[in-house]
Amino acid sequence: MKIRSLKLREAHKPPAGGGGDGRPSLCSVLWDQQAHHLVTASSSDPAISIHDALLPSSPPRILRHHRDGVTALAISPNSTCLASGSIDHSVKLYKFPGGDFQTNVTRFTLPIRALAFNKSGSMLAAAGDDEGIKLINTIDGSIARVLKGHKGSVTGLAFDPNGEYLASMDSMGTVIYWELHSGTTLHTLKGIAPNCGSDFSVINVLSWSPDGETLAVPGLKNDVVMYDRDTAEKLFSLRGDHLQSVCYLSWSPNGKYMATSGLDRQVLIWDVDKKQDIDRQKFDERICCMSWKPIGNSLAVIDTAGKYGMWESVIPSSMKSPTEGIPNSRSNNSNGLLLFDEEDEEDEEPSAAGSISDPGEDSFGESGPPCRKRLRKKSTYDEHWEEDDNDELSSPPKPKSRKGHHDKKKASDNGHEGLGSIMLSARSKMQDAFQPGSTPVQPGKRRFLCYNMIGSITTIEQEGYSHIEIDFHDTGKGPRVPSMTDHFGFTMASINENGSVFANPCKGEKNLSTLMYRPFRSWASNSEWSMRFEGEEVKAVALGTGWVAAITSLNLLRIFTEGGLQKHVVSLDGPVVTASGFNDELAVVTHSSDCLPSGDQVMAFTIFNISKSTKAMQGRLPLTPGSQLMWFGFSEEGLLSSYDSKGLLRIFTIQCGGSWVPLFSASKVKRSDESYWVVGLNMTNLFCIICKSPDLFPQVAHKPVLSLLNFSIPLASSDIGAETLENEFILNYTHLSQIHHKMEAAAQAGNDVTSLEDDAFNVEAAQDKCILRLIASCCNSDKLARATELVKLLSLEKSVRGSIKLVTALKLPNLAERFNSILEERLLAEKGPKDAPALNIKDTASTSIAAAAMAEKRTEAIMTSTTPKLSAPLFIKKVKSQEGTEVGSSDKIDEDVNPSIPNVGATKFKDQKNAAEANGGGEIKKRGHVHELQSECPSSSFPKSMDNPEKIKNAGQAHRQPPQRPSNPFLKSAVK
Amino acid sequence: MAVQPEPDYSLFTAQEIEFVAEDELIEIVPNMRMDPLNLICGDFGPFLPQIAARVPLWLAVALKKRGKCTIRPPEWMSVEKLTRVLEAERDSEREFQSLPFHYVEISRLLFDHARDDIPDIYMVRSLIEDIRDVRFHKVQSSLETFDGRTSAVQIKSLSAMEVNIVRPFVARALQSFHKLDSLLPDTDSMPNNQPQEADKAAKGRRVLRGR
Repeated sequence: MKIRSLKLREAHKPPAGGGGDGRPSLCSVLWDQQAHHLVTASSSDPAISIHDALLPSSPPRILRHHRDGVTALAISPNSTCLASGSIDHSVKLYKFPGGDFQTNVTRFTLPIRALAFNKSGSMLAAAGDDEGIKLINTIDGSIARVLKGHKGSVTGLAFDPNGEYLASMDSMGTVIYWELHSGTTLHTLKGIAPNCGSDFSVINVLSWSPDGETLAVPGLKNDVVMYDRDTAEKLFSLRGDHLQSVCYLSWSPNGKYMATSGLDRQVLIWDVDKKQDIDRQKFDERICCMSWKPIGNSLAVIDTAGKYGMWESVIPSSMKSPTEGIPNSRSNNSNGLLLFDEEDEEDEEPSAAGSISDPGEDSFGESGPPCRKRLRKKSTYDEHWEEDDNDELSSPPKPKSRKGHHDKKKASDNGHEGLGSIMLSARSKMQDAFQPGSTPVQPGKRRFLCYNMIGSITTIEQEGYSHIEIDFHDTGKGPRVPSMTDHFGFTMASINENGSVFANPCKGEKNLSTLMYRPFRSWASNSEWSMRFEGEEVKAVALGTGWVAAITSLNLLRIFTEGGLQKHVVSLDGPVVTASGFNDELAVVTHSSDCLPSGDQVMAFTIFNISKSTKAMQGRLPLTPGSQLMWFGFSEEGLLSSYDSKGLLRIFTIQCGGSWVPLFSASKVKRSDESYWVVGLNMTNLFCIICKSPDLFPQVAHKPVLSLLNFSIPLASSDIGAETLENEFILNYTHLSQIHHKMEAAAQAGNDVTSLEDDAFNVEAAQDKCILRLIASCCNSDKLARATELVKLLSLEKSVRGSIKLVTALKLPNLAERFNSILEERLLAEKGPKDAPALNIKDTASTSIAAAAMAEKRTEAIMTSTTPKLSAPLFIKKVKSQEGTEVGSSDKIDEDVNPSIPNVGATKFKDQKNAAEANGGGEIKKRGHVHELQSECPSSSFPKSMDNPEKIKNAGQAHRQPPQRPSNPFLKSAVK
Repeated sequence: MAVQPEPDYSLFTAQEIEFVAEDELIEIVPNMRMDPLNLICGDFGPFLPQIAARVPLWLAVALKKRGKCTIRPPEWMSVEKLTRVLEAERDSEREFQSLPFHYVEISRLLFDHARDDIPDIYMVRSLIEDIRDVRFHKVQSSLETFDGRTSAVQIKSLSAMEVNIVRPFVARALQSFHKLDSLLPDTDSMPNNQPQEADKAAKGRRVLRGR
């Protein structure tokens, strides 16, 4: 290997004593990202020099802000900000490349030894002789965290390019891996590097490879040792011709090469993959800092005398350029938000363009600087987001705004505004995709991938694989599913009676995103299937009867059949939040836009009917301001529901033309030390797991037990102090409207609605009971008008009479009178239309006899039918007619009212009510509507009161059982 | 139930007491779906998977044996509760801590049939044994204070099993005292037909009448 000489130029005066004989000082050299400028500093000189790389002859710009030697330099990844640390205990920030002093970011009590920006530039780590490493938010200069754990002074800091870890090294040779997310120590490697003691011209450094997979640390045997990113295990070492220990090392931008400088005053260039040195250079002084030029094939070096130089063409032209194929960090792939990627690229364009247009750039013979740069930037931002998620730290200072909307932030950000901060605010609030019923990853603990009313899927990660177990709550019903070993690392799952679906995000290039379906029972032997997604990542999965849905990072909804047939691929409106399936229906929640300025998320839901291939419903998903969606799914009855982080459960009902109704509010029931983890709900109860704070989710270890909670609508506190009754009142109405809706649907489909009617009757009876109690409490607090309104809502005649008795007992004769008149009015209204059609439509004797019979048997009828209310709305008539039939004279009346109905049709129905409903779907609808809207109209009437068998018995004619009842008008005479 | 003042008192065997204890209610978490059970002692259920229900112990054990449920140990059967009870038992000379009347039987049944449902079963088991020993020791020592003048014994919060063990001895002893007393001339002031107190399930006061 030839030895070339390298011309060094003085940048910093050597320390007092003159010449090269003085104490060696620790000098630093740094390239900016565009390779326009080179920054140097020396621990014996308070000045920082910014040299223009394009005009080497022009004098450097000198920054004199420190009062003592500068020991550490760092440039933010977007090259807009320079940080320096000094022996004078301060860390200062400058604009770059202008060099305007911006702020003193922090002060220590002892000298600073190391500085590092994270890859997004949002965070600066500073450390030195003080005991803690400070993580500083560069936007506002706040200390995000102080990491304590080193015994000696910290001399090396390095952020993992993937933004998860920080590695630090102290003068005693101890390396600590910190997890940035939690601030905890992951690994402590003691004494793996030389102990430099108190000589601060020699410091221990460490450096992550650009892909973040390995950490390079100077070893004890004059070598460089590589440690694994995750396990901190020793991977290999670069050992060769260094005669003394390595004091500085630097990865080439693509991570293929490494420059190391030793105490033996030589610099070696290594091919890391081959673990071989490829070039070396001897210097007069020890080289204490090196920096690869980000663009091109050269290395900047600075020695302890403060002389710097440029080693051009470091890597022989026969080998790959040190900047070729700069790796993307691996998290790049995991980012599914296309929207933001685009924004990034857009944003990077100007700078990339700038570098192309720069004539000085071309001389470095780069194959394609702009696209490489863009690539790199992109990964920077990806990093940034991931980090923001974890740390909620802020973004890089970026003095020049490129986009108009950035200006908004200017004032608040103290001039440091920038794209990053905007993206941060958006990113930190737009929640990631999640699976309903899953719990977060906890190291070393089993967690739920899915927990619903049917069963649970749990997983625990072991070395290199996961162990998945599937359990059914009802062990008798569900099959016994053997536990499985999962080599994919599934993070999403869903389970129903028929099968389970799993999916994993992609991790790097070799581990593609996979979707797997396992049926629980199948006649075919190998009916498990899996799909792989290239360049796309599954974000959410859902299961229904006979279909599997997966929503991917490309906002595609993919529907597969149970057998694995790819049936539909649909593009969704936005990035998915979550999805849930129930029988034929699939509901998907997507982000419909960025967060509002208030920080509220904007989400939309879509319901698809998979078997019919239709879109059943679409709309906005309401969220409590400032909350996140926590759970999303269907109730046992198939109603869509959501639960947000503020503890509000909403259910999508047909009330008010299809609205989300808040049915449960945790703040109403909550004891302060509990939180509710929703699993499911039915019409009357919420099924949840109660977690004692501070836990927000259940642990697998103690098998969680479901608790039933009653719904509690967030009602205003009323003056009658009967909140539970008012709650019950609204719930009953919701329930009732639900039943009517179903009845309508069933009737339209020609199904039997008898059982639904029984339900409706029960609910109505319960509702009347509740109303009566409400009337009592209204009377007690002297709200007579409200009591009167309530009486009008009673559905059973008996209840109205009860209410009269009640107010009489309460000594409110006025009210009793009023109630009486209400009752009379209703009876009248009920009677009128009943008789009217009979009289009007059929003049035959038979009808009038029937009507007369009815009139007779209504012993309690107060008014005669002399004033039939023909003006009553249609639905009243309908109800009346129905009632009339119920009274039991016969179907005739029914037929009379709707003579157009063919008898054949009528025979199908088991009772008159059915017939009535079938006869006039429209009217029924209206009637349902009346119930729903709680119309004060008395016509909500007494449809049930007439069910009373007594009355039927009272009928002049023997009333036969419905099935045998003649459905033919001709049989009238027979009844007569 | 009144104990007949006859030489051979009607005693319960441990099994019989256990049988009685099986009527105590306990919470289970079923893993099956079942309609409500309408039993003479009441209606239980409906049973829904993973949702706790309260049933008699015998039913819980029967379901458990069939693998249809897990039993949730009662609140007092936790290590910290029992530790506290044990300390209190040791601290007070004569007082008995309030524990369920059938605590011995319930814990025994659960140890036998639902050992996998009790967290820290060994700890719980040894604590309960300790408590039982301490309490029984207390009963014995309080019995030692019997003398000729004792006509009744009152111990509060004694459990079924404990009272069952000491019942024959106490009854016989008191009776013998009484007999001896009545042998003494002119001291037999006690009328023969002193109102007989019922043995109120051993919790209350029992007065034994000699003849």
